[in-house]
Amino acid sequence: MADFGKLSPFQVDPAIVEGLSLSPDDFSPASEGEKENMVEKRKSVSYWRDAARRFKANTVSMVALFIFLCCLVFAFIGPKLIPYSYGDQYRSSQKLGPMEYSKGEALIKAASANFDSFYATGLQAGSITAITKGNYFIEYKGNTYAFTAEKAMEGVIVGFLKGQADPVIVKEADVDPATGAIAAWAPLETTGDPAEGATQLKLVKGVFPHVFGTDSVGRDLMARTMYGARVSILIGLMAALIVLIIGSIYGAISGLAGGTVDFIMMRIVELIYSIPEVLIVLLLQVVLKDPLQEWMDHSDTWLAHAASALGSGIISIFITFALLYWVTMARIVRGQVLQLRKQEYVTAAVALGAGNGRIIKRHLLPNCVGALVITTCLQIPSAIFLESFLSFLGLGVSAPMASLGSLCSDALQTITLYPYRLIYPAVILTVIVLTLNLVGDGLRDALDPRLKK
Amino acid sequence: MIIYILKRIGAALLTLLVIMSITFFLMNAIPGSPFLTEKSTPQQIELANKKYGLDKPLIVQLKNYVVNYLKGDLGTSLKMQEGTPVKDIIFHQGKFILSIKLGLWSLAIAVLIGIPLGCIAAYNRGSWLDGFLRVMTTVGVAIPTFVLATLLLATFAVKLGWLDTISGSLESAKSMIMPILSMSFYYICYVAKLTRTSMLDAINQDYIRTARAKGVKRNIIILKHALRNSLIPVITYLGPVTAGIITGSFVVESTFSIPGLGKYYVQCVMSRDYPVIMATTVVLSALVIFMNLVVDVAYKVVDPRITLTNKED
Amino acid sequence: MNESKKNLLEVKDLKVSFFTPAGEVKAVDGISYTLGYNEVMGIVGESGSGKSVEAYAVIGLLQNPGKVVGGSITFEGEDLLSYDEEQMRGVRGKDISMIFQNPMTCLNPVYTIGNQLTEALTCHDTSISKEEAWNRAVHMLQLVGINNAEKRMTQYPHEFSGGMRQRAMIAMALIGEPKLLIADEPTTALDVTIQAQILDVMKDIQKRVNTSIIFITHNLGVVAEVCDKVSVMYAGKIVEQGDVNDIFYDPQHPYTKALLASMPRLDEGEHERLIPIEGTPIDLLDPPQGCNFGPRCKECRKICLSKKPPYAETGNGHISACWLHFMEGAKQAGSGEEA
Repeated sequence: MADFGKLSPFQVDPAIVEGLSLSPDDFSPASEGEKENMVEKRKSVSYWRDAARRFKANTVSMVALFIFLCCLVFAFIGPKLIPYSYGDQYRSSQKLGPMEYSKGEALIKAASANFDSFYATGLQAGSITAITKGNYFIEYKGNTYAFTAEKAMEGVIVGFLKGQADPVIVKEADVDPATGAIAAWAPLETTGDPAEGATQLKLVKGVFPHVFGTDSVGRDLMARTMYGARVSILIGLMAALIVLIIGSIYGAISGLAGGTVDFIMMRIVELIYSIPEVLIVLLLQVVLKDPLQEWMDHSDTWLAHAASALGSGIISIFITFALLYWVTMARIVRGQVLQLRKQEYVTAAVALGAGNGRIIKRHLLPNCVGALVITTCLQIPSAIFLESFLSFLGLGVSAPMASLGSLCSDALQTITLYPYRLIYPAVILTVIVLTLNLVGDGLRDALDPRLKK
Repeated sequence: MIIYILKRIGAALLTLLVIMSITFFLMNAIPGSPFLTEKSTPQQIELANKKYGLDKPLIVQLKNYVVNYLKGDLGTSLKMQEGTPVKDIIFHQGKFILSIKLGLWSLAIAVLIGIPLGCIAAYNRGSWLDGFLRVMTTVGVAIPTFVLATLLLATFAVKLGWLDTISGSLESAKSMIMPILSMSFYYICYVAKLTRTSMLDAINQDYIRTARAKGVKRNIIILKHALRNSLIPVITYLGPVTAGIITGSFVVESTFSIPGLGKYYVQCVMSRDYPVIMATTVVLSALVIFMNLVVDVAYKVVDPRITLTNKED
Repeated sequence: MNESKKNLLEVKDLKVSFFTPAGEVKAVDGISYTLGYNEVMGIVGESGSGKSVEAYAVIGLLQNPGKVVGGSITFEGEDLLSYDEEQMRGVRGKDISMIFQNPMTCLNPVYTIGNQLTEALTCHDTSISKEEAWNRAVHMLQLVGINNAEKRMTQYPHEFSGGMRQRAMIAMALIGEPKLLIADEPTTALDVTIQAQILDVMKDIQKRVNTSIIFITHNLGVVAEVCDKVSVMYAGKIVEQGDVNDIFYDPQHPYTKALLASMPRLDEGEHERLIPIEGTPIDLLDPPQGCNFGPRCKECRKICLSKKPPYAETGNGHISACWLHFMEGAKQAGSGEEA
């Protein structure tokens, strides 16, 4: 290093120096500590925190995420909030429009002002009740009232009128549908102790409209849409998971093994890639339906039980994904692995004698996790699409189960009369796919800033 | 070039063979016999099996398929149109032509509308037009074909009565509007999205900076330097589009009552008409494979860097 | 008035900032220089010192979120900062050209070299015939030392080697006979042998077409070979500027000295060790109060950490921004006070 002291000083105008009012003390050498104090190191931000910051800054994706969470609430919590269930056919509730009540429900709604509380058999929540011959009991303000129906009664309301302490039974015909005024009622003869095997009538919490209307056999469409959304989302998640597992393992092996193994594995991928999958999917659906049903009916393993809860249609969709749809994922993972394999730290790991399994687990998967998350997230909507397509062709889930696709398909027959039956599930389906796409795009921008445009 | 194409044709034949085998075994994995009805006796089934060669070992049946296909004989229908040669069903009853017509129109519309829309969006990046197109394309790729098809049908044919509910054989332009629109809308949106993204990507490339440093006009930079480069990913996507349009045809043909191959395929699968399933699968697969080849050659035309002889991913 | 006629380019107190989510990054923080006709100036500095950003500001190619926030750029008496995009377009490629660091990505892969070369002419002068443009392009290619130019015109960039592409880039930049050529690290991405060839081409061609060149590099050897004068940049500021001989044989600023000490030299003994500059460049988001180089400087004084150093200058335009130049004066002043 050259010595500064020896160099001829630069010509400096003394006047400038004076203007600066410098003191010799200013020129005493600064210590290392003083120097370091000047360099304030900004905290380095971790990859994930940085990604989270980028994602949060992305308004569109955040809104989409919020809407998707709303869809999740709709699909998973919604069914608990409404008194209808997806599979039950409610009496005299067929072909109702949105926000409508069946005749009985409307009657109860009108009359409810005159009642403190009223009761119904389990299925007919919020509707007038049909009581068959037998023993019944109800509970009101801690007391039990038991009664016996001598004969079957159609269209009756059991309940406590406003201000009365004893239960009454009102005939449908005695209620004015417009005002809810009750023309006549009969007191129920009750005892304190219910007879052996008596049925409890359930307290009706209120009448709930059929928000999306009902279908031709009286099933509540909102309940079905909620259920269908749940099925569709679960199918999407499961399918994406299957694709993720198979694709990443296949891709990682191919990329790591290299050479002939890689060559053969990639030719297989290319082959599957060039098969028009829809043709095979359709065939598979038909092929798998019966054997799966057979297996589920006769096998007693937990797997079969789990499968039968889902139904053969859904299981064959999963099998389809496992067989055909992992190729894109495998290609992406292989590409990442090939790229990462060239990195020094992998070479170092190999040099240190780490086995293939360890390299995959410790070095490669954590580094391609961004690509995996993005691809998986975008796989979900495509699985939902495929399921809805198959259900639309009548091959997916079967009634009374529902998926958004099958609901659309069911609605198609009556599209001219009841267009709303198509519109609700179709809108929900579109919103789910749309928001998932947007969230996926946001994730891609956040996790892989190089791809950001 | 010729060697490459020959190689690809060889690979395509191999793929078709694999597809035939898969289809064959899948067909035979369906339990029961295609002739099994409530009335049929075991003797009748046996007789029918014998008649159509279904009593032979599977591998012999498969071999027969392959040999016959090489001879150009696609067999005869077992059920849907019993006794009719499959070749006639597919090629001479207008089904194939109808599906091809629908498919090509949709493909052409997707490309001819999608690419300019993507360019417009990229060119006017950040404007209201870009915003509108982004919303449209994002929503567009989230609407399933069948939803769009049924909504169009319900609105324009049923409610307004402007168009016919049954498109039939697509003889008039009027009957083609709805099927083609519902089939191509998703791809218009996807192609537009893709074009916009790859266009913006291209705009950030160093060679665009070079062109700007040369003083080239902005719209020439977009149309000459950026567009051609950004077409490359779009072309890659056109291979899968062909396969996707076949998917679309299943839905669209049944929604608009078009007697095409797609609709027929679904019916065949349901009724297990083996020879027809096999022939349709092979014909449609061949179509997809052929389109993939066309796409790869189109690549070469757009991107001079690609040498077809030693293509590596 | 006369001043601006004499000088091709005058940059005064130019400030360029990048507005990032994390805050304003002052990439170029008040630099000034003048460039005469037919002069070659080198701008030297390590990565991130703002040397390329400054060049982009001159040619008007700053990308978002970069913005000129102060100062002036005067080219042949015209204020370039007052030009709109269309006017700047007319200047670019015609009066000011630029060649870039990475020749591998700077040529459009899908068009032939000939197409891209002639475009540089036709986009400014629509009246020029195709044939003439073609001939001039061929001539230009020959000038930069590309053999078989006619055939090369019809080839695509991927058929060119890296050195060939950079030659083609030079030909493209010079085909419009610009008055100013900005070369942004033109040889960095190339092999050492190719580097030398490209430098020869540039030197040779500079004499033939009478172009001024701003040569941006971090390679001092390159500067010594081609430049008339040199500006040394550190963290967005010019720390030392002067004639090429002054900078190399009489460096004043500690950063320049350290830079020179870190470069291998052929004229010194075999066992001379290279001395690296310790530490890392400062964070431009939050520049220090004092001299930007202070924290890394071996000769750092207390004042260096609290105040920005002013320029000290010799008669012939050699300037340097370092407090050390004021040390003697301060001592005298100090001793005077004491006495």
